[in-house]
Amino acid sequence: MPKTNPGAPEAVDLTGLRGLLESRPPEARELLPLLRDIQTRYRHLPEEAVRGLSEYLGLPLARVYAVSRFYKSLSRVPKGERLVKVCLGTACHLRGAPALLEALEGKLGLALGETGKDGRFTLESVNCVGACALAPVVMLDDEVHGKLNDESLADLPL
Amino acid sequence: MSGERSGERFRDVLRGTIDGKTVVARRGATVLETAESVGIRIPTLCHREGLPPDGNCRLCVVETKGKLVISCMFPVREDGFAILTQSPGVREARRFVLSLMLNRAPKAPAILKLAGEYGAGADPRFSRDPDNCVRCGRCVRACRANRTEAIALVGRGFERSVSGPFEKPPPDCVGCLSCAFVCPTGNILYSERDGKRRIWDKEFRLVPCPECGTPVFTEEQIRFLGEKASGLCPECGRRRLASALRNAEPLSGGSRGF
Ligand code: SF4
Ligand code: FES
Ligand code: FES
Repeated sequence: MPKTNPGAPEAVDLTGLRGLLESRPPEARELLPLLRDIQTRYRHLPEEAVRGLSEYLGLPLARVYAVSRFYKSLSRVPKGERLVKVCLGTACHLRGAPALLEALEGKLGLALGETGKDGRFTLESVNCVGACALAPVVMLDDEVHGKLNDESLADLPL
Repeated sequence: MSGERSGERFRDVLRGTIDGKTVVARRGATVLETAESVGIRIPTLCHREGLPPDGNCRLCVVETKGKLVISCMFPVREDGFAILTQSPGVREARRFVLSLMLNRAPKAPAILKLAGEYGAGADPRFSRDPDNCVRCGRCVRACRANRTEAIALVGRGFERSVSGPFEKPPPDCVGCLSCAFVCPTGNILYSERDGKRRIWDKEFRLVPCPECGTPVFTEEQIRFLGEKASGLCPECGRRRLASALRNAEPLSGGSRGF
């Protein structure tokens, strides 16, 4: 399990929650989309937001909570503003992902799984993003950066 | 009954064998049901009558056409079915499943007994903090069937466990004890004293039966059941129903048979 160091969990300002929930109809099929919306807005799933979601959808809190804990991209603790995901899949591994990871850890001053104290970055690993032809690959949020080497790594907007 | 209908019925009766014994089965019945109907016992763990099947423990495997299938969900579909419930392959599969479960629940009498029957020992490679729960999900399915759905199986892989939301006392729990009642390993603990019941780190006040005074239900349970709840303990409830039936006007006309 990657460890996390979210710092002291601050009280989250949930003023916009109502509007965020109401952007989708209160139907069970919106459970996962709304969990993702909450994750995107708050960089994690604040407890109060998960409770609010269960009420809004009329679904048992236990079920909503279980779903919220199933996916790796949904987090209980705040993630950094930007997600840096190093692919450690087979193709990337063979093309030097371990060294790439080490270089990134040094560059960001973070160990795998950590979020910086300033909340700017979270460093994670994934097991193949489906872009093996571009190995080794790093994802910055939703952007794929492939064929990384020392030079192109230095060019990453980090 | 129309002729066509009875023809269909006829086609729904299948003939085959279980452990070499000739057996008649209803089309679509599970192998487990069919075996039980002729007194052949298949060990089960996650399966429980009255709860939707889930097929997660794999203890009830049997062999058919050289393949292992789980009897609690596998339906009998064709004439001439042939099922083995104790073949070497079946016994080996059960032994393996039990060796994994011994890591989860090394002290549970039900698991120890089965492990003894199948000669299973814990496999240390998969040993992780045993907690007496085999993740069969019976408790969760019982809670869901009651429409309380206060607990869930949370997390994945080794981290998976039964829990209330946020690992806190579950707000929707009404203290009914259904989860503890259906748990095969006795993992869900509760206590009762001084008219109070504790389960899932929550405390409930027990309401005495209005007739005999035995405390059976919690306040929350009665509130949850609403109008359906008489508050009577099961015994007094049965007695009241029996006397109501005795005094009831007989239905005019029809026979009393089913
Ligand atoms: S607590 Fe008991 S019933 Fe619930 S999953 Fe664990 S072993 Fe099964
Ligand atoms: S292994 Fe990295 S993209 Fe497939
Ligand atoms: S009893 Fe059939 S899979 Fe558990």
